[in-house]
Amino acid sequence: MSDNLTLNEDERDCLQELMNISYGSATAAIAEIIDRFATLSIPNIKTATLEEFKIYLKNKLDHNSSHYVTNQLINGTINGETMFIIDEKSTLNLGKEFELDEDELVDDELKDVVLEISNIITSTTLSKFAELIEASITFSPPTVKILHSIDEFNEHYANEYSHIIIITTDIKFKEQNINGELLILSKDESILFMKSALNRLLEEF
Amino acid sequence: MINNDIIFNTIDNGIIVLDENLKIKAWNYWLEIRTHIKQSDILDKKIFDKFSYINEKKLKRKIKSVLVTNNPSYYSVDPHQFLIDIKLNTIIEKVYDSMQQDITIVPYDLEKKLVCLYIYDKTSLCKTNFKLEQLNIQLKDLSNRDPMTQAYNRRYFSEVSKKMLSLSLRNNQSLSLIILDIDKFKDINDSHGHSIGDDVIILLSNTLENLIRNSDINARFGGEEFVILFNDSNAENTYSLANEIRKKVQTLCVKNEDKEVKFTVSIGVAEYNEEIDKKGIENTIKRADEALYIAKENGRNQVVISK
Repeated sequence: MSDNLTLNEDERDCLQELMNISYGSATAAIAEIIDRFATLSIPNIKTATLEEFKIYLKNKLDHNSSHYVTNQLINGTINGETMFIIDEKSTLNLGKEFELDEDELVDDELKDVVLEISNIITSTTLSKFAELIEASITFSPPTVKILHSIDEFNEHYANEYSHIIIITTDIKFKEQNINGELLILSKDESILFMKSALNRLLEEF
Repeated sequence: MINNDIIFNTIDNGIIVLDENLKIKAWNYWLEIRTHIKQSDILDKKIFDKFSYINEKKLKRKIKSVLVTNNPSYYSVDPHQFLIDIKLNTIIEKVYDSMQQDITIVPYDLEKKLVCLYIYDKTSLCKTNFKLEQLNIQLKDLSNRDPMTQAYNRRYFSEVSKKMLSLSLRNNQSLSLIILDIDKFKDINDSHGHSIGDDVIILLSNTLENLIRNSDINARFGGEEFVILFNDSNAENTYSLANEIRKKVQTLCVKNEDKEVKFTVSIGVAEYNEEIDKKGIENTIKRADEALYIAKENGRNQVVISK
């Protein structure tokens, strides 16, 4: 990884702060849309290279349980894509929060629930983030796959990103705990844009 | 000045504007043509009253999401297939009865709580993907099979036997296999020609497929040699099964003009043994092969079990 693309400590702190604010808008939106009191835990943010990201995913995906993985393209000043990863158990809990009946807790309905929650989290978080760093973005429709291993991931997804921002959070409903992760995979030129925006903000404050 | 009505009625997409109570506020020409419902007949009607198959709870939630987040929401072809059921009339090969649709729901007027639904026809893309998936399945199956007999090939056997072994070990079940070889096959080829020799191999392969269970794997290993893996079967049980096969084979015959070509097989049996087969299932195959050699030495048309 070339040094000019790596986030330094100040930049990472600033990014964490901006993501905290952005994520807050997602929490409010979820609560209002499904009419449930929901909170998102303070997101844990990591930046990773492709290799680190793969090891991270391998540890996550190579378990007995399967995972629902959505991805959505982002176009504009921030260019790349987002992924939302959620395990089967959390997906079932989510389905219950979305008031699916027992006979509706099947793959197709659960896929739709995951698509919806990931779309809400992605679009509200990134729209807010884009607003804060004065970027303009649009989203493409998300797609979803059910993955059982890292091999399936390698089969389906291209490896064209060298920088990945991993945001881990828990969505807490009154009775259920749902763990999902939002991954932001950005192209190098977007990282440069983000870095200059972060530095602008750091100078201002 | 751009006339948006022209765009609204000439675009190659369906466009619906809905209010928060899901009443239809606009319905473009694309939809009029395909549903045979005029805008004037549907305006201010609730979308569910007209199309009762739509999941009301789900659509309401998606629209709410658009109005709350001021961002698009989606009603994707996977898993929904369509929002408005538009039957397809085509003379070209039909995969779907209804048009496959991707729907993007966007904010139209937040104050008036109006949203706009764009309907995209994804039928061609879905059809191509569907065919591609089917072809991939076929291709995968073809690469696993011997072209002449349609039995599995050695490569597939080696792949699947490892999986079956780990499954058997996990479930504490026995796993056995047999190696079967046609006796004096060279003589059949020499006396009746290769074409009859091929017919003998095909008949044998089909017979084996009919005699084994779905959970067992029959593979052609070489010219006239087959290996069968028996799931949840110990050596004694497999020995009886092998004997049944041997007896059945001696009743078979291939017609060569007015002559009947009969044949027999010799079989070696081995059960996987963790102590002996430390190198894996390949060693079990080796032991069955040695038993087969003894069966041949002892006069053919018999089954020998590896100790």
